[in-house]
Amino acid sequence: MVRLITHNLLACHAKGCTSNNFPLQFKDVQVELREAEFNPDFLRGFIPRLEWGALVDAARQLGDTSLPAEPPEMLDVEFLQKLHHVLLEVHVEEGAMICPNCNHVYPISNGIPNMLLAEHEIG
Amino acid sequence: MGIQYLFIFAQVHDEFRIPELFSVAELHGFEITFPPPADVSRPFMILVLENELHARLLAQRCILVKYACEFYGRGKTYMELHEQTRSNHARWSKYVQDTPFKFFISAYNHTIPQRRQKDIVESFDYMDFQGKIDMHNPEVTLACFEEYRDKRGTTRHKHEGDGDFEEVFFGRLVEEGTARPLIKTFDVKKRTYYGNTSMEAEISLLMANQTLASPGKLIYDPFIGTGSMAYTTAYFGALVFGSDIDGRQMRGKEKQPGIIRAAAQYGVAHRIVDLCTFDVTRNPWRCGELFDAIITDPPYGVRAGAKRLGRKARPDKQQRAKPAQPFISKQLDDQPYIPPTMPYELSSLVGDLVLLARYLLKPRGRLVFFLPTVTDEYEELDIQTMLCDGMEVVANSLQNFGSWGRRLITIRKITSERYPPPMFTSASNISEDGSAHTPAHKYFREKYFQGFRKSESEEGQGVTRSTSG
Repeated sequence: MVRLITHNLLACHAKGCTSNNFPLQFKDVQVELREAEFNPDFLRGFIPRLEWGALVDAARQLGDTSLPAEPPEMLDVEFLQKLHHVLLEVHVEEGAMICPNCNHVYPISNGIPNMLLAEHEIG
Repeated sequence: MGIQYLFIFAQVHDEFRIPELFSVAELHGFEITFPPPADVSRPFMILVLENELHARLLAQRCILVKYACEFYGRGKTYMELHEQTRSNHARWSKYVQDTPFKFFISAYNHTIPQRRQKDIVESFDYMDFQGKIDMHNPEVTLACFEEYRDKRGTTRHKHEGDGDFEEVFFGRLVEEGTARPLIKTFDVKKRTYYGNTSMEAEISLLMANQTLASPGKLIYDPFIGTGSMAYTTAYFGALVFGSDIDGRQMRGKEKQPGIIRAAAQYGVAHRIVDLCTFDVTRNPWRCGELFDAIITDPPYGVRAGAKRLGRKARPDKQQRAKPAQPFISKQLDDQPYIPPTMPYELSSLVGDLVLLARYLLKPRGRLVFFLPTVTDEYEELDIQTMLCDGMEVVANSLQNFGSWGRRLITIRKITSERYPPPMFTSASNISEDGSAHTPAHKYFREKYFQGFRKSESEEGQGVTRSTSG
């Protein structure tokens, strides 16, 4: 859990933290790989929602360099399989995600990220 | 011009039948029409469909369908039924020559004695089927159903009133409802992980069908709790995200989160994309238009109250002086900081949920949730006032518990306009047009614990507050 698809959709949401609050930086992570179902249609439909650069960087930080710096024009099966692996099969089980702007630490425990804010961080 | 099919439903959740049929038809992209008169309270319905495949698809996915048959005839008496069946000769003549067949005779609210079952079969001898009777592997099953009045609560002898039916229906069995047995598969009592507010299996399945769950869809439950609806939506192929303000509900006591353990039991753990702990009113979603559906059972505060981050307003106590220094968390990771929470009143929660869905859903996406309400006070207007531009009600089905009930609401996003994320301040706002309609579900929790006594709920302290403030 905390797959890279999720990481790509979460931004720091502390009070006043509205710029440079994405992507969160992984720290002290334990990674597991688990197989998931390959669904090319889902991937094709989801690419427009992704922040591609953030995904590539996060994958590299976790040791996966299979993705190109820009999404290719031709979405062939070989590429979609790499994207599938990065998005859905890499799980961060332990560690933390840290906001690059305000340094808020979102801990990850047993695969569940704690995105709750403290009292002084809500508007 | 379509073909008439006879559908036989389970005698439960009658208001859910037609919404479920329409949802499954929309999922597969076909049309259903109902020749009048359609009486949804009866478990027999005639549907007009384009072809037999559509009837099969409905029977394979609709939780409330028991049988789907090609329709041959109906009548208040067997004479009427036989007359219709004869006139529909063209529908069944192709099976006459040498198709192995059998008869299936059944009744609603009644058991037909063996002897009369035989008479019924013989009364169809004018059809003159030449094929051999094959009880185990028939190519054609001719199905005959007698419908009796509900005799619950009366004492009677076995077979008493036999033949005194309301109406009798006849057709060729196309498909037995194969989704109905899923109720057993998802039985909460046999689940590895569940809590005291877990949703019963049949309703979780009906909800999943309202979301049009299927492979390639992404579905979100913002109050996932113990995950009841995640399992059924994932079973139908969708990928599921869950969040909850209380991580303990999702985790359970073991290292592997409880929701993942239960999902693994159904072989769908890989479809639970992620579970996150956060307050949906303070959510970290980076952008909108992410999900094909949002499915949820918002906590309405009877067994587990809805909470959001913040502190409860306590007018009886003096406000504490704000500390000069902002509070800085120094906890270690093994002593997680637990922020204060305050109650989240149901009608504000629901208003926020609709706005959130408009932001997070893709165009045509669906919001499916339960709304508890007070039976005597409910008005159609309650549902209309919680809507906003770009969202329309697709279905509204009541599960009645007497003085209260809950409504399964299905709302569709009908706009492709982009909206900003909601502010979650509907608690302090009146509806956009300035009207002050108070829906029956407002302060539902307080009303529940007062036993829905009307006078008190109107005058009681803290129950009806000024809506102009």
